[in-house]
Amino acid sequence: MTRTVRLVALTATLLVVLPELAHACPVCFDPRDENRLAFLGTTVFLSLLPLAIVAGTLLFIRHRSRQASEPVPQTEPTA
Amino acid sequence: MTPAATISIDHRPEPAPRQQVLPNGVMGMLLFVFTEAMVFAGMIAAHTIARAGATEWPPFDQPRLPVAITMVNTAALLLSGLVLLWAHRLWPRSPADARRPLLWATLLGSFFVAAQGREWVALIGEGLTITSSTYGGFFYLIVGTHALHAVAAILGLVWAWRRAGTGRLTAGQFSTAAIFWYFVVLVWPALYLRVYL
Repeated sequence: MTRTVRLVALTATLLVVLPELAHACPVCFDPRDENRLAFLGTTVFLSLLPLAIVAGTLLFIRHRSRQASEPVPQTEPTA
Repeated sequence: MTPAATISIDHRPEPAPRQQVLPNGVMGMLLFVFTEAMVFAGMIAAHTIARAGATEWPPFDQPRLPVAITMVNTAALLLSGLVLLWAHRLWPRSPADARRPLLWATLLGSFFVAAQGREWVALIGEGLTITSSTYGGFFYLIVGTHALHAVAAILGLVWAWRRAGTGRLTAGQFSTAAIFWYFVVLVWPALYLRVYL
């Protein structure tokens, strides 16, 4: 086995094993259901809220834009 | 220029007059409100996680929050929002008539802030402070941030009311001040349900 092959094998092994050891995410491995659900729920909430706000704003602006595009009735000039 | 070309230009239909989609003040306030909504969302999320991770919530040595009296305050705040909505709808037809409900909305909002302040004083007296526990810290952070917004929005309503008295308040300015108050009103029930219950 050449030195290069050994180096590649070692790197690949470390890449597979080390992330399992890290477990940096406390959400994913918390044994308590309540805590895990809180993390999951707030993640979903904080992800969807800005999208909902942007979508709502775009719909509102489109609605207002359509209203503004309607021709304004011309008033008769007074004598 | 040929005569035919002149005739063609003279008969070109004029574009229909268009209205502004949103006044600049309203657009600016909407953007501000969106950022503030995310601030409150972040605090609610942090509170939810802290609460879920605590062994006991609220801690046994900390005073309980006054749920019932705050419900009365909440009702006053919601009523204030409804009264302002009424003033907002009245404004295009009769700005002078809209001034009175605008004042009532401001007074109800002021009552809410004063009642919350009184509640704070009582809680501090009972030992709940911003450093007494995570529970107290979150309470004063979240409710205090909302109170700051409420005070700022009330100042905006007072400004609108005074300006309406001199006939200088535009519809866009009214909407700008109103949107901020609607935000303060609408975000509160979520805070109440999360923090108090």
